[in-house]
Amino acid sequence: MYFPYFIAYMLAGFIISLAVLFWALRHGQFQDQERLRYLPLADRSHPSAIKAGRLNRLEGYLMLGLACAGLMCTAAVLFFTLWRWR
Amino acid sequence: MADHAAHALEPNPTARAFCLTSAFWFAVATTAGLWAAGYLIAPDFMANIAYLQFGRLRPIHVNLVLFGFVTPGLLAAAFYYVPRLTRTELFSQRLGVLTAWLWNLTVTVGIVSLSLGFSQGREYAELVWPVDMLVVLVFALVGVNLIMTVHRRREPVLYVSIWYVFAAVVLTALTYALGNVIWRPDTGALLGIPDAILLWFYGHNIFGLLLTPLSLGVAYYVIPIVTRNPLYSHTLSLLGFWSLLVVYTHIGTHHLLQVPVPTWLKVVAIVDSIAMVIPVMAFLINIWYTARGKLGEIHADIAGKFIFTGTIWYFFVSIQGSVMALPQVQRITHFNNWTVGHAHIGVLGFAGMIALGGMYFILPKLSGKPLYSRFLADLQYWLVLIGITGFLVILTTVGLIQGNAWFNGETVYRVLPEIHLYYVLRLSAGLAILSGAYIGLYNMVRTLFFNPGVQA
Ligand code: HEM
Ligand code: HEM
Repeated sequence: MYFPYFIAYMLAGFIISLAVLFWALRHGQFQDQERLRYLPLADRSHPSAIKAGRLNRLEGYLMLGLACAGLMCTAAVLFFTLWRWR
Repeated sequence: MADHAAHALEPNPTARAFCLTSAFWFAVATTAGLWAAGYLIAPDFMANIAYLQFGRLRPIHVNLVLFGFVTPGLLAAAFYYVPRLTRTELFSQRLGVLTAWLWNLTVTVGIVSLSLGFSQGREYAELVWPVDMLVVLVFALVGVNLIMTVHRRREPVLYVSIWYVFAAVVLTALTYALGNVIWRPDTGALLGIPDAILLWFYGHNIFGLLLTPLSLGVAYYVIPIVTRNPLYSHTLSLLGFWSLLVVYTHIGTHHLLQVPVPTWLKVVAIVDSIAMVIPVMAFLINIWYTARGKLGEIHADIAGKFIFTGTIWYFFVSIQGSVMALPQVQRITHFNNWTVGHAHIGVLGFAGMIALGGMYFILPKLSGKPLYSRFLADLQYWLVLIGITGFLVILTTVGLIQGNAWFNGETVYRVLPEIHLYYVLRLSAGLAILSGAYIGLYNMVRTLFFNPGVQA
């Protein structure tokens, strides 16, 4: 009989998470969500709003194409693996 | 381009020390990986050097990538953005630098002890007790520094990245101690099946509750800045955070589906592995919507480029992972190179790429000068990307060959000659990653120390 320990552990994790959740609720951590969206942008030290060149855009599309190809490979592998298991 | 524009100098010796730590161990770790890959091609090369046998090099490689390269790289970024997001200073730079030194000491003692043959033989928990204690100590020190920083914050509400960093640091300190059974210094293990369950509960948390939240924290900070778009939804990001905590913490048993552990634990693990779609998509939808229409801008910024690519790998590794947790699929993919492929796209493609992006984001700020060479950074990006894609294709193919052969009752030794060629290919893909690591190290050192650029 060892798994009561695991259940106890999971429960402990659950209770701690709940405690933190309640702390967050009581301390207004779920308010002001609209303002929080902008918080990283306060970092003005990053010379941003870099205009993308044509090459950058091309690179972006190339990556997107690669990602789609990867997705198709994943689908194919999944299909063939499960197909064996019909 | 981003890196030629002015950067304000923001001295942060802690972030700087963690950057250098990460870049240095990245180079050493890939060297060990390449060496290990050599053994898989020619098992008796270096036959007489005990400290460098495969059985020792493998845990050295794995511990180095986890604790030498990826974690410090992600922490470097965290040491930069936590003070900024809380509008305060880091609690103690002195403590931070001390932690970085201790961190390096821990990693060094760890690999020396592994190469001398001191190992507890449990995956991701090989390090012996004294090193375990050092690991717990450094995580605790990082935790204290960050908690005190947040305690003194001037911004009352915590941005999602901060939630993620805390989850990572605090939970890892705890699960590391538990998973390494530190109350039994001699073996660092329980007995039998309960030990396997505990080990994989912990092992999975290394990816799920250390690398993943630290990486998501960096992406949530950098992508809005690079695109100059506000985060798509902060509420959605918090939803993703809490669902990650609920779901990710007990899926470790999906590593043990072929083992006689209680069925209910397997069911919990499988169901939660599928449910991982929720936190994963909450994050990806948020980040990709934030970046919407700015793909070109992202690629013009080296940090954005690394991090955005990391999010795409996150998509792949997670979809693949959910599928791998299905028992039918795992009957073929378990115990072979398929899983090694998954491990590399997860730890390098996702977390490693984001760590590199985070470091490239902060390096110009730490030195107050542009990056030493944008070209070298681009080169590193492509080398790592080509290498990791090669790894995925090669290792997945080998995995399917091995898995199907064994499933059909073929003996191991008859399969080995068939997969030899793939091991040669894997080594060559590894060479690309290795060169990328050394180029990155050079570029980062030049940016921080011998940078001819003009200070802003
Ligand atoms: C030169 C590049 C690299 C090479 C040649 C390489 C090679 C290897 C080899 C040979 C193994 C042992 C696999 C086995 O037991 O069959 C391994 C495992 C592993 N490597 Fe690498 N590696 C490289 C880079 C990296 C990087 C950069 C990362 C992460 C950032 C990484 C993460 C891992 C992980 C997590 C494992 C454990 C895999 C598992 O147990 O399933 N590797 N690697
Ligand atoms: C939805 C998310 C994910 C799921 C459901 C998942 C699922 C799995 C499963 C089922 C295995 C065991 C495969 C087997 O032994 O047959 C595994 C292994 C592994 N996963 Fe994932 N994964 C996920 C994401 C990740 C991420 C993000 C990382 C890295 C940061 C990662 C790193 C690893 C590593 C290193 C292993 C190899 C463990 C070993 O040494 O055996 N995974 N994953």
